[in-house]
Amino acid sequence: MNKESGSTWKLGMFVIIGLVLFSGTIFFVGKQKNLFGSTFRLHVQFKTVSGLKAGNNVRFSGINIGTVDAIQLINDTAVMVDLLIKKEIQQFIKTDATAGIGSDGLMGDKILTISPGSIAANSPVKDNAQIGSKKAVEMEDVMSSVKTSVDNAGIITAQLAQFAYKMNNNKGALSKLMTDESFSNSLKGTLSNLETSAGQFAKFTTSMNNGKGALSKMVSDEKFGKTLDSTMANLQAGTKGLSENMEAAKHNFLLKGFFKKKKRAEDKKAAALKKQEDQKKKADLPNEDEEKKAGEKNPVNAKDSIKNR
Amino acid sequence: MVISLKNIFNDAGNVTQFTARFFKEVLKPPYEIKEFIRQCYVIGYRSLPLVGITGFIMGLVLTLQSRPTLAEFGAESWLPGMVALSLIREIAPVITALICAGKISSGIGAELGSMKVTEQIDAMEVSAIDPYKYLVITRILATTLMVPLLVVFADGVGVLGGYAGININSDVNLLNYFSKVLESLDFIDIIPATIKTFFFGFFIGMIGCYKGYTAASGTESVGKAANSAVVAASLTIFVIDMLAVQLTDIFF
Repeated sequence: MNKESGSTWKLGMFVIIGLVLFSGTIFFVGKQKNLFGSTFRLHVQFKTVSGLKAGNNVRFSGINIGTVDAIQLINDTAVMVDLLIKKEIQQFIKTDATAGIGSDGLMGDKILTISPGSIAANSPVKDNAQIGSKKAVEMEDVMSSVKTSVDNAGIITAQLAQFAYKMNNNKGALSKLMTDESFSNSLKGTLSNLETSAGQFAKFTTSMNNGKGALSKMVSDEKFGKTLDSTMANLQAGTKGLSENMEAAKHNFLLKGFFKKKKRAEDKKAAALKKQEDQKKKADLPNEDEEKKAGEKNPVNAKDSIKNR
Repeated sequence: MVISLKNIFNDAGNVTQFTARFFKEVLKPPYEIKEFIRQCYVIGYRSLPLVGITGFIMGLVLTLQSRPTLAEFGAESWLPGMVALSLIREIAPVITALICAGKISSGIGAELGSMKVTEQIDAMEVSAIDPYKYLVITRILATTLMVPLLVVFADGVGVLGGYAGININSDVNLLNYFSKVLESLDFIDIIPATIKTFFFGFFIGMIGCYKGYTAASGTESVGKAANSAVVAASLTIFVIDMLAVQLTDIFF
């Protein structure tokens, strides 16, 4: 009897542990499918669901909050997706939340993601409500935009190759800069010269700013500037007086003769210059003709001269 | 040729009658509860260490063997899910059933065969105890109910073995491992696999009992009964497994 009861509790333990394991697994798997626990329903209408299946996860802010319960075609351009979502999430999903279809990793399942609505305290969604949808990003769209980028990249690389070829083989300044050593040496010399002169210039400007010479004073000293200004005004007044004096002198009978003589001499000089120019023009024309004739007459000589070279 | 064909049909007829008798008498009182519990203890509890060790090693080895291939795809994070899926869907049920066929079916065949040979079964009949009810029904019921439980244990221990296998090469904590395992599981993986283990259990018990119950007289036939019970049960398990997988494929 003792042995009998000893075996009974072992059997009972075995059976209970087995059943607990089994029902535990069923429960946990069911929990992920939202079969147990309180849930509520949402509906979303899509144009295309791009491979979403019943049983796929629903995500809200990156957390799995439910599953896709059913997908049905309601007309030729609309698919209605029913979602089963945990009850405790309901308060966080506002009426203007939108649903989109994404994919879990590169090769993973499709997932339905719910994006939260605006913060401006909308009321939370009701059971069996419908929320808006975002157009799913189709793989084909992605591929076509990728194709455009690739095409552009092709053009860019072709032009880049052309540019590089020109750089290596042509004689432009940039290519010389890249390849020609002597050019770069001369550039280096130029630059060093430039450096020296810039240094000198810097010295010059320093002495301009700090020195006590006239030029530096002209630049920096205000007082000197004012003095210079008044000097200039005086000078102006002086020259004005002088020109008046000169005019008066022209009309003076003592000096009239001298001025007239001077004017006559100037006129003569100008006339002679003009004559000279005309003669030169005339002389040039026949010279050119002669040269042409000479070239036609002696083509052999020309050739010989080339050979001799 | 004709005689051997006739023998096959004869055998098939006998098995069918034997099975039909089980279903006819299983619900009829009196119930042999005490003997049923004793058989459950012998079949279920006593097989647990064997099944547990096998399950653990299967989980461990499966993990170690799949890891290089998955690592090639950079999909090592799918290892827990993959191991759990293959264990629960296929490997644990079949391996457990095969072990039970070797341990239980042969045991039942030898036990009933020697009882038959030493005319204990006839003695029971004389003492107004229905030997079929007392010996056969309790054993078949016990295997039918205990083998699924053993498979559940094998699943659990096998998944733990997979955890050990993963931690040989990388570092995954237990919670993360189990959440990955549960994530990959679906009812479609658990329910058909569980249903087929009831059939495994039923046929393991039924074939053992049939071979023992119909053993010819003579000591030699005891060994024959035990042997043919193991062979027939193992073969039946594979056939049932194939049918179950096909049916699952069609209906789900």
